[in-house]
Amino acid sequence: MSGDTTIDAFLSQLPGTLLDGLIRGLAYVGIALGLTIVFGMLRLVNFAHGAFYLIGAYVGLVVSDRLGLVAGLVVAPIAVAIFAIVIDYALLRRFYDRNPTSQILITFGIALVVQEALRLIFTGTTRSYIVPGWLQTSLNLGFTQYPTYRIVFAIGIVILVCVVWFFIERTNYGLIVRAGIRDRIMVQLLGGNVRQASTVIFALGGAIAGLVGAGASPIYSVDPNTGFNFLVPSFVVIVIGGLGSFWGAVVGGLLVGELQSLTTLISAPASDIVIYVAMALVLLVRPSGLFGESEIIRG
Amino acid sequence: MKSAHPTRGQFIGGTVAGAAATLASINVIAAPQKEVVIGLDVPLTGPYSDQGTDQVRAYKLAIDEINAHGGVMGMQLKYTIGDDQTKPGPAVDNATRMIDRDGAIMITGGSSTGTAVAVSGLCQQKKTIFMATLTHGDETTNQSCHYHTFRRYNNAHMSARAMAQTLLSKYGTGRWFHITADYTWGHSVYDNLVAVLEPKGAKTIKNVLMPLGTADFAPALQQAQAAHPDVLVITEFGKDMVNALNQAAQFGLTKTTKILVPLADEYMAKGTGDNFANVVTTAPFYWKYYVDKGQPNARKFVAAFIKRYGVPPSNGAETAYTNIYQWKDGIERAGSLDPAKFIAKMEGYKFTATKEPGEYWRTWDHQGVNSCLVMEGVPMSERTGDFPAFAFAKVLEVHNGESVSIPQSESKCKIETA
Repeated sequence: MSGDTTIDAFLSQLPGTLLDGLIRGLAYVGIALGLTIVFGMLRLVNFAHGAFYLIGAYVGLVVSDRLGLVAGLVVAPIAVAIFAIVIDYALLRRFYDRNPTSQILITFGIALVVQEALRLIFTGTTRSYIVPGWLQTSLNLGFTQYPTYRIVFAIGIVILVCVVWFFIERTNYGLIVRAGIRDRIMVQLLGGNVRQASTVIFALGGAIAGLVGAGASPIYSVDPNTGFNFLVPSFVVIVIGGLGSFWGAVVGGLLVGELQSLTTLISAPASDIVIYVAMALVLLVRPSGLFGESEIIRG
Repeated sequence: MKSAHPTRGQFIGGTVAGAAATLASINVIAAPQKEVVIGLDVPLTGPYSDQGTDQVRAYKLAIDEINAHGGVMGMQLKYTIGDDQTKPGPAVDNATRMIDRDGAIMITGGSSTGTAVAVSGLCQQKKTIFMATLTHGDETTNQSCHYHTFRRYNNAHMSARAMAQTLLSKYGTGRWFHITADYTWGHSVYDNLVAVLEPKGAKTIKNVLMPLGTADFAPALQQAQAAHPDVLVITEFGKDMVNALNQAAQFGLTKTTKILVPLADEYMAKGTGDNFANVVTTAPFYWKYYVDKGQPNARKFVAAFIKRYGVPPSNGAETAYTNIYQWKDGIERAGSLDPAKFIAKMEGYKFTATKEPGEYWRTWDHQGVNSCLVMEGVPMSERTGDFPAFAFAKVLEVHNGESVSIPQSESKCKIETA
């Protein structure tokens, strides 16, 4: 009798849990997307990606407090893209051809400097966004009542994925970028500016992180540690999906989101561990991740 | 043949040198120590960093006041500070460094029972006083009580007993769903609430344990929503509670379900704003209540705090401030920095700080026995004064500490004798 009750309770909670996993997974997709594009195109292991998310979250906070959420969502990616370009010119382009250890150290250093600078400016207090009234409501989806903002956020991430895919796969500029990764010298001989393309890709990765930072913060709030909190699962996502793979980030993100959500239904404390178990299993079976490492290049 | 006796010159020289050495050694022993060091081991990062930061403000205020009035037994009070990251490991590392390297003779701090219990164990080993500040789990002065540790903050047993009547009258005995922080404090609060409510007929549907530092409570809130409980208990603290309650509001749960947050402070209320309206909670201190009541020490403390920092103190800050003064007074009553003499003067000591008169340190578990406030959040539109974000509640009941504290017969505390 009680077994039936437990199964009934489990089944009644399943649709909502799956939806929740989908939304959480899409958040991971948004963050992992920039990370994997930068790695795929530039072969740069960017530990500063969490800092880009954080800058976007704080810029979005300041702007949306004064001009509204939409303005925050517009300004945040632009600000982070500019920051990324400055960092690229000043520091990172000296490290593109260095070994991964140097890249990790320099990007990790940037992440720490950004995090502590933001702590000095905004203190360690958790900050919440002011969201328009209609987005604070919840929608009745029949099987569950779900926050409107989370649904809008998820739709936004789907649109973002489509736009980024279109840019890389269907524009002339994307073609130069992909070709530059395969044979940099040949593209330069043909008149393509690979150096500029690298900067554009790094700025694009930053802009995506900044946009997701501003978009996700009304859900998760923001404090100076938020960047690292999202960076670690995002690395798990791209390792599962395949380093540098566009669709790997998408599938990996959704997989990790659903896995965490479903685990919470059974045992919430295990939900933090389960993603690392999944990563280990994937690496055992497919060491290069589910989608290999160069899906984006193969087009 | 060389004489075995010293020459006159050797004798005089030796005598002078001996006298000088003796005088010098007397001077070393007798010279008054000019300063004394204490260690502030608090979370400046992690989910409880708002609380840790506010405690540091109060510590600094108390230390500066004490130094301005002659210090502790004539010694200037110095501090060393460490960020425990809301984790027991770094908290213990900090305390070890403070004691061994910096010469701290007292450690204070902690915004988590997890860190407090760990630091308390270390301080017992090191025979160093630990004035635990913001730790609410029973364990600190129950299963893991120690001779060198004192905890003045209310505990989970006190909160649950203090709230019992209010919960039954305001929330009823229906179906209760719990979202609980998965460490010793969360477990302690959950156990106490269930022990109080279930005998009265309340039914616990489910308890979802969430790891410390969780950003997304949606999976747990989904389950709560599907279960249609009468009451949702959010036993989370700091940023975790801010996220949990704000997300509960996004899920529409604050409109359909009564919410209980067993322990809250000013920064949690600030982070949740109107979502905290009508939520019942407990706290050991509420600045507005004691200022409005005219408690002279509270008025002085709150005014000094606002003057220096521009905002009122949180309840953890009040405990931090009082802890420093309690330690100073204990040392001065003992007339010594010897921990054993200090403890002897603390046990059973009655005093009036910033709350009701007559609070005291219990001898057998070193728990501070003082009042527990049961409060209810008020909407932003009904708040008055210069600090509406911090003027978050009205006090429903004030329970005498004695009436809600765990009796010795029920406690597992077996305190050491040294």
